[in-house]
Amino acid sequence: MDLTPRHEIEETGDVRRVIHRRRRWAILVIAVLLIVALGFVTAQGLRNATLFFRNVDEAIDQRVELGSSRFRIQGRVIPSSVRGEAGVTTFQIVHECAVAAVRHTGDPPELFKSPWIPVVLEGRWVEGESKTVAGADSHYFRSDRMLVKHTNEYASANEGRVSEKPPLGFLDDCLFEVPVDSS
Amino acid sequence: MAERTDDSKMTATPLTRVLGILGIAAVVFMVVLGLFISPPDVVQGEAVRMLYLHVPSIWIAYGSFVLTSVSSLLFLVRSRRREDGGRHYDRVAGSAAEVGVVFTGLTLITGMLWGKVTWGTYWQWDARLTTTVLLFVTYLGYLALRRLPADPIVRGRRAAVMALISFVNVPIVHYSVDWWRTLHQKASLSVGRRPEITGEMYWTLLYSALTVTIVGAWLIIHRYRVIRLEELRDEENLKMLISSRRHERSADSAADGEVS
Amino acid sequence: MSEVATVATGWGLTFVVIVTYSLWVVSRGRSIGRELGIGEAQPSGLEQESDLSPDT
Repeated sequence: MDLTPRHEIEETGDVRRVIHRRRRWAILVIAVLLIVALGFVTAQGLRNATLFFRNVDEAIDQRVELGSSRFRIQGRVIPSSVRGEAGVTTFQIVHECAVAAVRHTGDPPELFKSPWIPVVLEGRWVEGESKTVAGADSHYFRSDRMLVKHTNEYASANEGRVSEKPPLGFLDDCLFEVPVDSS
Repeated sequence: MAERTDDSKMTATPLTRVLGILGIAAVVFMVVLGLFISPPDVVQGEAVRMLYLHVPSIWIAYGSFVLTSVSSLLFLVRSRRREDGGRHYDRVAGSAAEVGVVFTGLTLITGMLWGKVTWGTYWQWDARLTTTVLLFVTYLGYLALRRLPADPIVRGRRAAVMALISFVNVPIVHYSVDWWRTLHQKASLSVGRRPEITGEMYWTLLYSALTVTIVGAWLIIHRYRVIRLEELRDEENLKMLISSRRHERSADSAADGEVS
Repeated sequence: MSEVATVATGWGLTFVVIVTYSLWVVSRGRSIGRELGIGEAQPSGLEQESDLSPDT
């Protein structure tokens, strides 16, 4: 046996290289794809994630700065305000006692029917007289995309119906009255 | 199966067999409880049944990633002191991470389906969804890193460092719904807050989490053993290659001798 | 998709993923075990590293 230990170490390295040469390319391709995916996701996240929506009160306060730019607005739908005809749904949303009139084009998601459901709408402020439960307004929100923001509250459907009343304490400090469902 | 041989039990032990049977029984009852006994939700209707898959899946994924991190840390700290160079810890880390990735994937799939019927969209780049997909991709990267050929100890060390870095994202995913505004709802259950979920649904959720834990544990144990087998096979292959090379070399030198 | 169809798809997909992954893990264990020869190299368990009886 003329193999010195030193020789054997070289031999091992050689063999390892033979085994792994083919795998190395595949792994490199996967690694590059993963890095690209990671970069894409991070970019998307930074752009959208930090300010996913503005609440109604903030959207009203920032009306001047927002101008006609597109953004997302969040509020609870006032059940008695919902009217729908020919693909257009009008309703009012409320958050922290600020109310906005909404004109939505397109089919609302199934859960929109649920009273006082929080929704996130995509669209912009449009100048135009509107009337809300809180009084007259110079703008309304024109939306073409609606997402229902369901909560983490779960209750058995066997135990009762959805309450038509606003969530407990939600409108307590507001200076306006919300009419009961007109239908 | 009449032709069952010993090798059919290659990665099974009495403990995992009991765990496996327990897991199957638990899954059967989970289906009955989750799909039939538990009530529909007052707002969401039948769609609420996605809760029992979606939430336990991410809990098990979190748990798996905790296990990966702890094992990785132990590998880094103790590898020099153990006879096997700490490869036991490396295997635990690797198998738990893989199972974690599977359950993170399931969380994403079930979440997208659930989102379609409740939110009205499969996907939105809100903070929770974005960080979760990032979690999925980083641990996929971790698994890819584990496959990069290198000396087992060097590879284990690299992987352990990456595992610890990847884990930073786990609390970010969990608290993203509190830290940022998201379309995603807040945590279903959290410490120090009264669960806003009715009793039957609450118990179904906890039971489902227990079931998924059993399944996850079974998977991690088996995956661990498969990693062990892979290592043994690689060592075998290496030995065989070396000895065949030796034969070639000695044959070559013999041939050389004849010619000269 | 209706609520029921979504729930069926979600549970179905989850089931398929878990079963496929489990079968992959077990079959990979078996095939490598067969390659190595039975009884020659029993894997040491997570919970019992010394358990090397042929039936494990």
